[in-house]
Amino acid sequence: MAVEQDIFDAVVMADERFHGEGYQEGYEEGSSLGIVEGKRYGMVHGAKIGSEIGCYRGFALAWKCLLHSGAGEKDSRKMKVVEALIALLQDFPYDDPTYEKLHEDLDRIRGKFRQLCSLLNVQPDFKVTPGGSGLAF
Amino acid sequence: MSWFRAAPENASPGDQDVFDEEADESLLAQREWQGHMRKRVQEGYRDGLDAGKALTLQRGFNQGYKEGADVIINYGLLRGTLSALLSWCHLHGNSSTLISKISNLLDTVDQCEECVLRRLKSVTSQPRVTDLLDAIEDMDLCHVVPSDQAKGDSNAEINTDSDSPNGMGCSHPEHCRPKEHAHLEKPSLSWILEQTSSLVKQLGVPADILQHLRQL
Repeated sequence: MAVEQDIFDAVVMADERFHGEGYQEGYEEGSSLGIVEGKRYGMVHGAKIGSEIGCYRGFALAWKCLLHSGAGEKDSRKMKVVEALIALLQDFPYDDPTYEKLHEDLDRIRGKFRQLCSLLNVQPDFKVTPGGSGLAF
Repeated sequence: MSWFRAAPENASPGDQDVFDEEADESLLAQREWQGHMRKRVQEGYRDGLDAGKALTLQRGFNQGYKEGADVIINYGLLRGTLSALLSWCHLHGNSSTLISKISNLLDTVDQCEECVLRRLKSVTSQPRVTDLLDAIEDMDLCHVVPSDQAKGDSNAEINTDSDSPNGMGCSHPEHCRPKEHAHLEKPSLSWILEQTSSLVKQLGVPADILQHLRQL
């Protein structure tokens, strides 16, 4: 009986030892792959947000300057909307994918941008992409 | 010990040659054991791979997201500014020449951004933002060779180094004028900024409009 128990333990231990060795090797490989794959995927999404937010910021700052310099066409309502958009953009942490209100604030920015374009009576060539982007797994 | 005795008993019914059967059984058992262990290693590897990935995927995503956003936002700033100038020109009925120049610059920004994005995707190591910015500084081809030709154009380097006007591989002939070749050695962002600054003067709008781009 004791001998049978020892043999059975040896089999189970060998089984677990082989599995553990494979696991350890796979774990190290998986950790590296996870960083690389996650980083690549994250870069694409971050770049999209950076591009979009940068467009809004560049557009708003330029138009604020243009409106300010306009001699007889100073429009306080347009200026208010421009400044509101700039304020939203300044507070928005565009490079933080873990920001809790990311989608919420992004929608507000997009809405304010559309309002500004409507007031200015312009149609910028860059598009506001509808729908939220996947920011986490 | 009893399972050693049980094995032959199970195998012997219906067979005549007991000794050969035992030998075959031993070899077979050995192969089964080896196969079983190999399978256990593979299962362990797969489990470990999944566990390791699950742990680091989100961290990698967050890192990449921040780096991608910080790099590309500069191109967004530039495009937004040019787009504002373009819409202002349309509203004020400016000359079609200036409108065309702004449109071309917008196309150039798009191409540069696509080049940078492709670089970001192809990076397999774990670069820092400074490394990426250095890579951007090296992209002299962005405003010379269109993205669809940059892949198959093996003479791209020669075109860049050449001082003579060469419109063959360029969809923006004006970029190949001799007076503009001095900019080919500079980062593409700087070139676009210079062009934009020149346009701003021609449009007669205040230079403050580019104040937020000084940092680029």
